[in-house]
This record gives sequence, C-alpha cells and structure tokens, in this order.
Amino acid sequence: MIMLDVLNLMVFFENALALNDFSMNVEEGEVVGVIGSNSAGKTTLMNTLSGLIIDMRTKEKRRGGERITVYGKVVFDGEDVTETSPSERVKKGIVLSRERHPVFPESSVVENLKIAGYLRKKLQIHEAMDDVFKLFPALIHLRTRKAGFLSGGEQQMLAIGMSLVVKPRLLLLDEPLLGLSPMMQKTLVGAICNLKKDSGITVLLTEQFARPVLPIIHRGYVIENGMLTLNGTGKELMDNPEIKAAYFGV
Amino acid sequence: MKKRRERIDRGIKVRAEDIFAVCSWREMLYLSAPRLLPIVGFIVLPLILGVYWQRVLLSVAIFALLAISWDILAQSGMVSLGQALFFGMGAYCSGILNHYFGISPFVTIPIAAVVGGAICTVLLLPVLRLRGVYFAMVTLIIPLMLERVIEATKIFGGTEGISGLTSLPSTWLELYILLAAVLAALFGFRRLMTSDYGLVLKGIQDNDRSVMNAGINIYWFKIQALFIASVVGSFAGAMMTHVYRFVGMPVFALDYSILPIAAAMVGGPGSFAGATLGAFILVPLSEALRALGGLRIVFYGVFLVIFVVGLPEGIFHFVARKYHQFERWVEVEK
Repeated sequence: MIMLDVLNLMVFFENALALNDFSMNVEEGEVVGVIGSNSAGKTTLMNTLSGLIIDMRTKEKRRGGERITVYGKVVFDGEDVTETSPSERVKKGIVLSRERHPVFPESSVVENLKIAGYLRKKLQIHEAMDDVFKLFPALIHLRTRKAGFLSGGEQQMLAIGMSLVVKPRLLLLDEPLLGLSPMMQKTLVGAICNLKKDSGITVLLTEQFARPVLPIIHRGYVIENGMLTLNGTGKELMDNPEIKAAYFGV
Repeated sequence: MKKRRERIDRGIKVRAEDIFAVCSWREMLYLSAPRLLPIVGFIVLPLILGVYWQRVLLSVAIFALLAISWDILAQSGMVSLGQALFFGMGAYCSGILNHYFGISPFVTIPIAAVVGGAICTVLLLPVLRLRGVYFAMVTLIIPLMLERVIEATKIFGGTEGISGLTSLPSTWLELYILLAAVLAALFGFRRLMTSDYGLVLKGIQDNDRSVMNAGINIYWFKIQALFIASVVGSFAGAMMTHVYRFVGMPVFALDYSILPIAAAMVGGPGSFAGATLGAFILVPLSEALRALGGLRIVFYGVFLVIFVVGLPEGIFHFVARKYHQFERWVEVEK
C-alpha cells in the first residue's frame, strides 16, 4: 500500500529551482533512500515533506526575503497534506530528523527525549524511551549528560531517538550519516535496519555517500539538480556503473 | 498552465551597475537620486520650515545620530539598550567644560564627543565579552544608574542640572552642523561598513568564533566599534546641551535609549539610511500626535507594533527593493 505519494513537486527559492518536477512514492513498511550530491535538493525535499517549508515560506515573506513557491502535491495516506502545517503533519505521523543532528544542547539526554515526546502520554514516553535505549545502547550511560557535550555520533543517535519517541509512521532521516566515522556509520545503519524490523516504521532517508545505505534500502531514487535521474531497487542501483562512479567513491 | 510570481532586477539597475551608467543621464539619475535625496532634503528643509518645525528637525537629526550609533553597534554584534549612556555622557562633558571652565561650544563639542566616547568605552570594557541579552542589560542599567548617582551625590547641579550654558551663535548654525553631521555619519559609516574593516565587524556579528579563527582579535575590533558608536552618540548629546543651554538628569532618560532603537527598527535595521529614515518618520509623528494628549503613547505604540509585525525588514529595505526590482507573473516551465 502506498503511504506517501509525491506528485510533480516543484520548489522555487525566489528564481532558483530547487526541486524540478520530482515524483516519488513510499510504500508502507519500506526503507527508501534518496541519493544525491551537494545541492541536489535533498534537504529541500525533506523540508517540503515535513512541512517545514511552509513555516520558512511565511517567515521569508514577512521578512521580505526570498519568495518560496511550492507546486505539486504531497499525499500521505490518501490525504493531500501539501499545505498542512508541520505540527499537524507530526500528529499524522510524519516525523523528520533534521540534518546535522539538532538537539537541545542545554538539556540532558532524557530531557531531550521527553521534550520530543510532548505529544504522547507519560507512560508511552517511558516505553518509547526504553525502546530508544534498546536501539542505541550507547546512550544508556549518557542519560544525564547534557546533549551539548555529546559527540557528533551520539548526538545523531539522540536526534533519531527524539524522532522515534513521537512514534512516527513515516520517519524522515535527513543525512543521518553526515560527519560520522565509518564505524559509527555501520552502527547507525544497523540500528536503522533493526528499527524497521522491530517496530515496522517506514523510513525515508537521504544520503550523499551511497555505499553504506544501499544494502539496506528497498528502493532508491537518485536526484541531481533537483531532478529525478534514476530509480530502482537497492540492488539495481548497486550494480549500476554510473552510480558506482558517482556515489561510491571508487 | 501554472504561473508563479517572479522577482527580478530592473533593466536600469543592471545597466547602472556597470561603467556604462555614465553614458546616459537616466542611468546616472537612477544611481544618484537616492543619494541626492537626503542631501538636498537636508539643505532645503530648514529654509522652508517654520521655527517650530525647525526645532522638530533638530530633534530628528539628534535621534538619527543616535539611531546610526545604535546600528553601528548592532551591525558589529552588540545589541545596546543604552544609547542614553553615550548621549548623556557627551551632554554632561560639554556642559561641565562650558560651565566650570568657560570654554566655547566650538571647542567643548568636539572634546565632549571624543572624551565622552572614551569614557563610555572604558565603562563598557568589562562587559564586551558578554553577548546578546547580557550586554543589552548592562547597557540598559548603566545610564539609569548614573542618573541616580547624580541625584544622590548632587554633583554637577544634582537634580537642578546646569543651566545658562553658552549657545551656538545662531540657530541656523546649530541646525546645519547637526544635519551635516547626520549626512557625514550616514555616508561615511556606510562606506566604512562596506570596506574590509566593516567586513570584520559584520563577521563578528555573524559568527565571532570564525572571526577569531581567522586570527583577528575580536575584542580590539569591538572596542573600536564601541568607541565609534559612542563618539557619535556623545556628539549628539553635546550638541543638544548647547541647543537647550541646559544639561540635567533627563539626558540619561530611557527615551534616548528606546526611540533610536524604534527608529532603526522601523526604518530598517542593518542600514544607516534606514535608521535615519526611521528617525525622520517617528520624531515628527510623535510631535504631530502631541495634540492627542495622553492617548499619544497608545497611538505611538500601536504604530510601532504594526510596523514591527507587518514589515520586519523595515521601510528602507522595502522601498529599496521596489526601486531595484519588479515582479511579474511567469509560466512555470519544466
């Protein structure tokens, strides 16, 4: 069953075209990857799917800055959510973990998770927190540590954990591996794999460096200059010589 | 076919950016009109205004200087809530020099500007390391504190203040000195902020750690920016002292801190022209509303709120954009 359907999405930042006629879909229970180089439009796609772009649009408009225009449709569970605010989308189950692991640096790990779980009941948060600690055992000993003092990888785990506490139906991960060591990347990829297996969450992730993520994704989309250039199953993409040359670093 | 609104530069702007601008009067006018407007305006306005509105113009110039001084600080990453400190320090310096030593205003005003600026800089030195709201709080408190100090210790005339100071020879001279100062500050500091020196100051506001990484001592630059801003503010205060021939506790009042900020916000923060424009709108507006009596503050406040919410970029940036760019509907093509 198709969970998220993106139809002919076009996003303009003033006169610059960030996403050009981009269409994709995500089926329930899948792990889908969007692969692209710098400035390909990955983050714009994530912002549009999570609705953050609506907030950016109003703020820029007030400020008289860049005019952001969005055309096309985002359909979630058969419902058009193109103009739905980010908070409403979270209630529907679309949760984004933004790139560069933004956490609340002055709060402890547990507090961070509690803030993230604002929408849920206290008991559920505790359960969800236990799940997060099960998924990322490295965080257990850091419960009371201030999030600002964690390392990049730990912060990334915490950021993903924060989006998991909300109990998403569709989890958007924007460059989860950015700036992590190969070892840490492996741990995180394993965790994402477990995540799908254990809780059946649908995952849509973006990445620049395709090698660690291609083995775990069901399907992948390759995006260049805001345009879809290629799509296929993870295996197909892995065997594609162009992809190998461009995103594998060989 | 779907359409979207496109915003692009006017043809004349693109042409006028180049050396070809000197080929045509139209393009030369396009470039020079926005710069000539304030200059011509400041020269002509005193000639056509009556005595009362000349006084208003005088306060416009004072508040424009304070707003510019606030903007210098804001552009170098120091949000100040205490322009009254600079203003009052300059005012008291020139008042004391004139009253106790009998020095002519032509000497006291420059001395007060520099000495007042230096004293303010030294006063704020310990808090330069603070950022954001902490720096703002300290600057807010110091002038209020000085006001109480003068009241309690009764120095320099105490609550009575010092009156009967020498005034400048003519009101025309006062007016034109002030307007020339505003113009000099407006164009001079704009040039300064676009130079490499200004780039460092703006960098400090954007990301001070990166500036440190470039091997620059940001505190030394902050001290310089603070000194420049306080000299401008102190000069305004010194001029005001000799215009009213009086200096007293009110020079440290909150008005001189808040109104310049309001002017800069309404006019357009981040540009000295915006700060001047804001003073040009708010001061006469507050005079015109004087007839309303007590309700004046309410109207004034509502006006400010509407502006800050509805047009946060400020009037200047809005007008500048309309001047340089136009909008049209274009078809979305794939």
